[in-house]
Amino acid sequence: MIGFILRRMLLLLPNLVLLTFVMFAVMTSWFGSPATMMLGRDATAEAVADMDRRYGFDQPVLVQYARWIGHAATGDFGRSFASQQTVAALLAPAVPVTLELSLAAILLAFAAAVSVNSLTIARRVITPMVTAASILGVTVPNFMLGATLIYLFAIRLRLLPTTGWVPWQQGVGPHVLHLLLPVITLCAFYTSAFSMVYRAEYRATARLLFVCVAQAKGLSETRVSFRHILPNAVLPVITQAGLSLGQLVGGAVVTETVFSIPGVGRLLVAAIGSSDYPLILAITMMILTAVALANLLADLLYARVNPLVRI
Amino acid sequence: MIRKPGRVLGALIVLAIVLASLCAPLLSSQNPNASGDDMLSPASAAHWFGTDDLGRDVFTRVLYGGRVSLLIGVGAACIACGVGVPAGLLAGYAKGWLSVGMVQLIDLFIAMPGLVLALVITVVVGPTLWNLMLVLGLVQWPGIARLVRGQVLALRDTPFVEAAQALGGSVGWILFRHIWPNIARVVAAQFAVAISVAIFTSASLSFLGLGLPPPTPDWGSMVQGGFDGLAFNPWLCLGPGAAVSLTIFGFYAMGRSVE
Repeated sequence: MIGFILRRMLLLLPNLVLLTFVMFAVMTSWFGSPATMMLGRDATAEAVADMDRRYGFDQPVLVQYARWIGHAATGDFGRSFASQQTVAALLAPAVPVTLELSLAAILLAFAAAVSVNSLTIARRVITPMVTAASILGVTVPNFMLGATLIYLFAIRLRLLPTTGWVPWQQGVGPHVLHLLLPVITLCAFYTSAFSMVYRAEYRATARLLFVCVAQAKGLSETRVSFRHILPNAVLPVITQAGLSLGQLVGGAVVTETVFSIPGVGRLLVAAIGSSDYPLILAITMMILTAVALANLLADLLYARVNPLVRI
Repeated sequence: MIRKPGRVLGALIVLAIVLASLCAPLLSSQNPNASGDDMLSPASAAHWFGTDDLGRDVFTRVLYGGRVSLLIGVGAACIACGVGVPAGLLAGYAKGWLSVGMVQLIDLFIAMPGLVLALVITVVVGPTLWNLMLVLGLVQWPGIARLVRGQVLALRDTPFVEAAQALGGSVGWILFRHIWPNIARVVAAQFAVAISVAIFTSASLSFLGLGLPPPTPDWGSMVQGGFDGLAFNPWLCLGPGAAVSLTIFGFYAMGRSVE
């Protein structure tokens, strides 16, 4: 197991360097200097050249990349161009918000997909409903689902707050109430995707001999389903979860924008709106790294529960 | 075809949407970009979804908005397949370092956040029709390549491919005359899914403010524009949102036949 972890980590580093370098080059030089982006298309050549010199955009990409990574390693991501605050100071309060939202969504999706599809009671009623809901879940974009939920539950029924974010410190109740609709919006897609994967695997597992034996021994349907089939059918869902993490970040960007949640996604959209290049760069790099690390984690988790892949 | 009702339903929905956006001038007598005097008026017989903040008829704009979305979706899917299919064929059929390298490359990009990449690259290159197609196509190639690779791997050691090899056939001849006809159906289905993903992502981009510049009617930016008016006229926001969801559903159902 330790050998496997080490091998995976060794592979991660060159991959991560390649990915971030390509993205860095796309953003800083392949399509022109960022100075043009920050100053606008009408900027004079002198102003652009002056900014290029000041920020070092006139140097080769490799030099810029190495310097950026060197600074980032010490926690220095530069200064926001729009607000003149350090990027680190802007990111610090936003990261936990996005982490909480994404983790809540993916865990809820995992639990919902696995438990609903393992239920043995009323399967005839539940299965078609789950199928229909799954299709809706993967085809309705986050912004449409979010807007619909806000319209139904906040504007029509007046049950939940429309948008906004209340930190834990200001009360657990309001915090959870504000979190409810965004989490549902974000997790719909994953619940559906996991549900499709899990159901196919569940059906294949249910045909195996050991299930037949368990049934023949007189175990209850529920026990067979949850104790015998579930642990054997849940593996592909973990893989799927690992592969979906990238999309989860994209979904979080849209969801945070819809519900005005002060997370990394909304910070990115705001940075794009104000052409705040250092902030956009730092957030992109951070997201790439986080997704790569989370993928590694999903792989390790998979290896932990399925010894076959450790070879 | 008939045995897969999901596919038929999807195809019918797509047909209806293509017709509606092509025949938009026949279905609505109004100009999608003409501003009127009654701004933000609620849904009525004259304006089915009401009017937006510039007094433009939202229903007409929803009809015309299909044109851009369909164009971007099909264009992006063509680019995704144009890059992904050859890459997948190569990764599946080649042996040695070429195959290993391709698989590494596919694995590297497949888990990347497509929407975030598309967002940032669009900022850098600018949201024009061509750029959007390119960006939305390029973020999808790894998925297609992986699918094609899996299909090729399953066929590579079958007797008919071995026979073709024994006849001394060139790699190109084997790939295109013997392997390609067997995977074309799967790729065609995935093409429809790629269109649905491209429309999904492009609508999300324009919702975030990175779509085609105004006044082009565009579903994502219309949802964004109507969002603040959700309380007094939900059609302003949910009308275009429903149109884009239905389109995505249609293409998705066409590609992935519903059980």
